[in-house]
Amino acid sequence: MDDIAEVYRNTYPALVRFLYRKVWDAERAEDLAQEAFARALVHRPEKTRGWLFVVAANMARDEARRAAREKRHLTLLKSEPDAVHTVPEDQIDADTQQTRVRAALDQLTPRDREALLLWDAGMSYDEIAAQTGLARGAIGTTLARARRRLVEAYDAGQEGGQHVARG
Amino acid sequence: MSHVDEGTLHAYLDGELPSSERAALEEHLAQCTTCRAALADERALRERASALLGSARPIERSAPPLEQLRRSAQARRSPWYVRRSFAWAASIALALGAGYLLRSPTGEVAAPGSQQPSSVGPTIVATTRAPTAPPPEQKPTAPAQRRTTPRVPRVPAELGRASEKAAPPADVVAAALPSREASNAAPAPDSVAQQRLKDTRLEAVVVRGSAAPARPEASVFVDGATVQPVTAKSWAVIDRRLAKSLLGQEPVGIPALAVRSFRRGPGRDGTIVVEQALDSATVIQIFQRPASTSLNDAAERQRADHFGRFIGRLRVEIAGPVSADSLNRLLEQVEPLP
Repeated sequence: MDDIAEVYRNTYPALVRFLYRKVWDAERAEDLAQEAFARALVHRPEKTRGWLFVVAANMARDEARRAAREKRHLTLLKSEPDAVHTVPEDQIDADTQQTRVRAALDQLTPRDREALLLWDAGMSYDEIAAQTGLARGAIGTTLARARRRLVEAYDAGQEGGQHVARG
Repeated sequence: MSHVDEGTLHAYLDGELPSSERAALEEHLAQCTTCRAALADERALRERASALLGSARPIERSAPPLEQLRRSAQARRSPWYVRRSFAWAASIALALGAGYLLRSPTGEVAAPGSQQPSSVGPTIVATTRAPTAPPPEQKPTAPAQRRTTPRVPRVPAELGRASEKAAPPADVVAAALPSREASNAAPAPDSVAQQRLKDTRLEAVVVRGSAAPARPEASVFVDGATVQPVTAKSWAVIDRRLAKSLLGQEPVGIPALAVRSFRRGPGRDGTIVVEQALDSATVIQIFQRPASTSLNDAAERQRADHFGRFIGRLRVEIAGPVSADSLNRLLEQVEPLP
């Protein structure tokens, strides 16, 4: 069994990041990450890190469903693009940037997105394979596709284009 | 070896190609300009994707001690955990909201002894210190009780009533302190606000107030009530240049929102508030001050993180008549104003 304290130290920021890109709410992501670790303390899983990401992904899914139901005040924060274009080039609103990345991520298939987020959270191909059910040999291809689509979707969004290649 | 597929190139770039395959690939790359070019393309793509993801990351905050999670592990298994965590955050916000206002320039909280109505001046409350001899009708409150152990329910009781009472003025301080004496001076039976706070709707409660209002102005806003901010109204409006010089850097706010005003706090710790309009009926307030002036206690920082942030060298807190969720989202977007 892994040393949870060690895993906690090394993995907490990555887990928060991973969750953040699913729930898009920093505090929520932290809450969920802490919840995942709290559960790990109770369950003492064999492979803590992988287990944490599985649990976190499930919680994020539930969270997303709940958030969809409770979508109230939060839409007010999607600032109108017009207002943002008046901002000087070198001060592109961080939120707008984030919104664009989020929109681009939404263009990925769930599996591609999951693989990409897991990789970005520091998971190895083996861990990603275990988590997603993909063959290890397919991870490289999956990530290549995910990256390409992310970049393409982002660029398409930048140009204001509505059409993003899907395949 | 035919040309290498992109999946293999990405696995190679990711350092995840088994060593035997890696050797073969490198051998091939040495001879194949097409694949070398492809590798360069994929490398650029990989970096670009990574940078994009990197631009969509949360503000990194330190993890709470694992012990804390361990202690609450059982409790957290309850499905109500998320709710309660919000209640907790709101409680802290209440305490901090009040605590924030109470700092004297030295970072000390004014002692309750200074809070009897007759001693409260319109502008110097935040700078008064505990009198050496407590007034006859009040006993001093133990210092250990200050701020570190705010009993939150006391806050709404008095804040909620503040606007309808002639006395006590500036009772924010008294309200934030779990002092029997304070409540004697300002008897406050359960008010509606307090009752509501006892319910599960804590998440939307935000307290704000000013350090030294001429009249009691602190208010409790519940669940997005469309009440205009009233606090800090007595703070002097200043221009941006003065705000900058008080802070020692550009004030922060949400760049996409219009700035209504900059106001200066009555203390000498450089606190200002930037008021920005979410829409014509909703104004949020972004309190900010040089971080060095208070909140040095690590535990307090950690708790403060729910509704406050450090941005550069500024401690920033936010208030407004929107939900706690929204405030947090807004807070994430705060940055130096263009």
